[in-house]
Amino acid sequence: MTVKLIDNDSIELVGSCPSEDAEALFQYLLQSRNATVDWSGCKRAHTAVIQVLLAFRCQLKGPPAGSFLELHIEPALRRAGAQIRPFPAGPEVRNS
Amino acid sequence: MTLAKTRRVLIVDDAALVRAYYRQALEQAGYHVDEALNGLEALEKVLLHSFDLLIVDVNMPQMDGITFLRALRNKELPMSAVPTLVTSTEAGPQDISSARAAGANYYVIKPLKQDALTELADMLCGVVA
Amino acid sequence: MNEFVEQFLLEARELIEQATGDLLALEQRANDPDKIDSAFRAFHTLKGAAGIVEFEPMARALHAVEGVLSGFRSKARPISPAIIDECLACLDQVTRWLDDMAATGELPSGADPVADAIVQRFSTSDSDASTLPVGDWLERLSAGNPGRFSEARSALRYVPHADAFFRGEDPLALIEGLRGLISIDLTLPDPAQPFDAVNPFTCAVEIIALINEDAETVKRLLSEVSDQIEVHAIDAKPQAVSDLVLSPLARSVLEAQILLLREPGPNGRAARAASAGLVSINVLHHAGLASAANSIAGALNDADATSVITAIERALQRKTDNVSSERSETARTASPAAARVLRVDTARIDTLVNLTGELTVVKNALGHLAKQAQDGLDAKGVTASLRNLQTQLDRLVGEIQGAILRIRVLPMRQMFQRFPRPVREISASVSKSIQFVIEGDDTEADTAIVESLFEPLLHVLRNAIDHGIEDSAQRMASGKPSTATIVLRAFRELDNVIVEVEDDGGGVDVDRVREVAAARGLVAADTLAGMTEADVIDLIFASGFSTAREVTDLSGRGVGMDAVRTAVGRLGGRVSIASRPKIGTVIRLTLPFTVMMTHVMTVEAAGQVFGLPLDVIVETAMIPRNLIVPIGAAAAFTWRDRTVPLVSLAASLGLSSYIADVGQARVVVTSTGGQLGAIEVERLGGRMDVMLKPMDGLLGGMKGVAGTTLLGDGRVLIVLDVQELFN
Repeated sequence: MTVKLIDNDSIELVGSCPSEDAEALFQYLLQSRNATVDWSGCKRAHTAVIQVLLAFRCQLKGPPAGSFLELHIEPALRRAGAQIRPFPAGPEVRNS
Repeated sequence: MTLAKTRRVLIVDDAALVRAYYRQALEQAGYHVDEALNGLEALEKVLLHSFDLLIVDVNMPQMDGITFLRALRNKELPMSAVPTLVTSTEAGPQDISSARAAGANYYVIKPLKQDALTELADMLCGVVA
Repeated sequence: MNEFVEQFLLEARELIEQATGDLLALEQRANDPDKIDSAFRAFHTLKGAAGIVEFEPMARALHAVEGVLSGFRSKARPISPAIIDECLACLDQVTRWLDDMAATGELPSGADPVADAIVQRFSTSDSDASTLPVGDWLERLSAGNPGRFSEARSALRYVPHADAFFRGEDPLALIEGLRGLISIDLTLPDPAQPFDAVNPFTCAVEIIALINEDAETVKRLLSEVSDQIEVHAIDAKPQAVSDLVLSPLARSVLEAQILLLREPGPNGRAARAASAGLVSINVLHHAGLASAANSIAGALNDADATSVITAIERALQRKTDNVSSERSETARTASPAAARVLRVDTARIDTLVNLTGELTVVKNALGHLAKQAQDGLDAKGVTASLRNLQTQLDRLVGEIQGAILRIRVLPMRQMFQRFPRPVREISASVSKSIQFVIEGDDTEADTAIVESLFEPLLHVLRNAIDHGIEDSAQRMASGKPSTATIVLRAFRELDNVIVEVEDDGGGVDVDRVREVAAARGLVAADTLAGMTEADVIDLIFASGFSTAREVTDLSGRGVGMDAVRTAVGRLGGRVSIASRPKIGTVIRLTLPFTVMMTHVMTVEAAGQVFGLPLDVIVETAMIPRNLIVPIGAAAAFTWRDRTVPLVSLAASLGLSSYIADVGQARVVVTSTGGQLGAIEVERLGGRMDVMLKPMDGLLGGMKGVAGTTLLGDGRVLIVLDVQELFN
């Protein structure tokens, strides 16, 4: 399962998320506006999925596993207003 | 505080003249140098000792450089991932690509001049300039 | 900046040649997309080069032209002659700037107004869409990525169709595939829109990106969505050289690791990848780029070859330093005229490096042998080894000589490709229609020859167009096509390079030549009457024959046909002319393949050794003194029914001679310029091949001397210019 609703506070994106995941993600986020999306296990994500993240200005927990996501998409989402949650382990916020 | 680690190089070439020539350059640059006359001897050496760099000639009797390198990379040995410089008198595209397919990190035409040899060795071993 | 100027000048001139050739081709076929593309790229690269040496006015002017050409490219419209002329004029101006820079070593001053004028001409010229509409997305990109704009070569805006997802497209995946991606920004059309109004099935995102790749490549890579993208090229700006840089060797090693990581074979893949990662980290540590090294270490932990490759590529995007290495592409060569720069094929330098490497090995073997001899190796063993080494040395020296000579050798193309434009202009100025054909431009010859022939050949061509080709009325009357043909051809013949200019004009008017020669008193009337037609035609090359000195645009100096003969002679060659009335003329330049290797016979006179070029020697003989007839200050004798003038080598060089044998004179009979002569010497020596060093400095003006070389015993051998001896 590439999109998982863990509980009211968190959604997980794992592995390679196809375009179909966009709808599921959308529904989960409609239900739990403040949920954090944990994409630290996510290697790739279809544009449709990214679009949802962009629209909801999600709280993201990362960094995402895939390099394209980490190097380019996460900064883009951040600049567009997404909030990046810091590493639990480290004190600083990741900069790209 | 940290002592510079002495890098260990294995020269694999059947020509005594070439081995002596490279040895002189590398020892002067602070390397520890070991030698093997062909691929078989080289395999023995890498099983027994550890090295930071191998310089392997292609044309050798008994076991040539490409065969040796392929064997080294394919088996799961402690030394399987050692940086390896392949040398040859030929440098056609076929020669270079078959060396790369066998796992060569870099390919040079021989003989290498002494300062080029030490610069390349420093680079491949990560000696801070 | 200065260190780049030389390289810049070289490359810029080449690019100008390239662009000129393309523009001239477009004149013939305005529709040729390859030529428009190539011309565009030449202007684009020139503009970038100007940026690197910080010559802003030139970059600005070229940008304007580039924009116009870009418009023609994308519209695939035929390009108008007016635009071509403007482009050529711009290139002329750039050439003037380059000449200025070459002379002063500085950027030309006062270039701004000139650049402005060019920009003006191109913006009012008949072209639309010179640049793509910019809009505010570029501002947004720039604002979002303040430090990164200078690394970028193009900016992209990609707005996928709304039904992209339905069609199974993944726009971001396309972007992911672009190399050189610097950064991306994503925007939704109305960020204030309430969440639930968003439709996850339709694509509404705008993707803008900065890319370190040129715009054409980006467009090509995204050609499948070309209707949804806008790509804008970003001007090359001079980049600050960072303190920590990668040497060309380091780059090469890193690139080799990328290739190693891409190797497909399944066996040994883990070891290959690990070794490639390790080498990359080491190379970066060696270069002092610890953070880049660490990012590779991090990528290695992922055990994902792709991310390691990406990390290495990012490290490679640092500017390379310009420390010259052995693989330098230009070599300085001292020639008698001035220090010049040669563009050399790196393969030829590599050959030389290898040979010197082999030489070192032999040298070391000799040292080893010496030690062995000292340690008591028997004489037989020593002799055998010595003989072996001597053979190897012999071969190596020969190969090295050959390799050095080959470095000086270039194809004629470099020089030939400078002709179409002047030929076009000269033809236009005399209102003649000329088809200019070039043959054999890959024939190779020594650099000195290739470079020095340009001016003489230009004059020969000018002559052919002006005088050789009849006007079209005359041509049609003779049943010839109204467009004349001039062929410039080069080919090898044994040890020589032959360059010919052939025209299908009216041939040389022999009677007219006779008239002019008589009128100028070049030849006595009765001699003239007795001359063969071929000899009369040859008078064209006589000093004083040409009429008003014609000033060429390029050199500003007068060049007559006699100067052509002199120039060619100075290179060791000769020029001749053959003509058939009403049919045409061929001017033929015969030049030695290389000016450097000479075969000589040594002779002695006044205790000194001299070399006589073998190719002028006919025979050696002993002549009884009583058969030598004094003629005024000179002497002569009869030899095979011909009268041969005789000079004493010692006397002609102002040296006192020691005549060993009063009864006979030892002579060497020579033939130069069709004339026989004889040189008296004291002793004859053997044959030698010598590398001639041309005379320069104080001795450069010494008459009769072609050059010098060193003999094995350390003595200097003077090689004689026999023709001058007899003048």
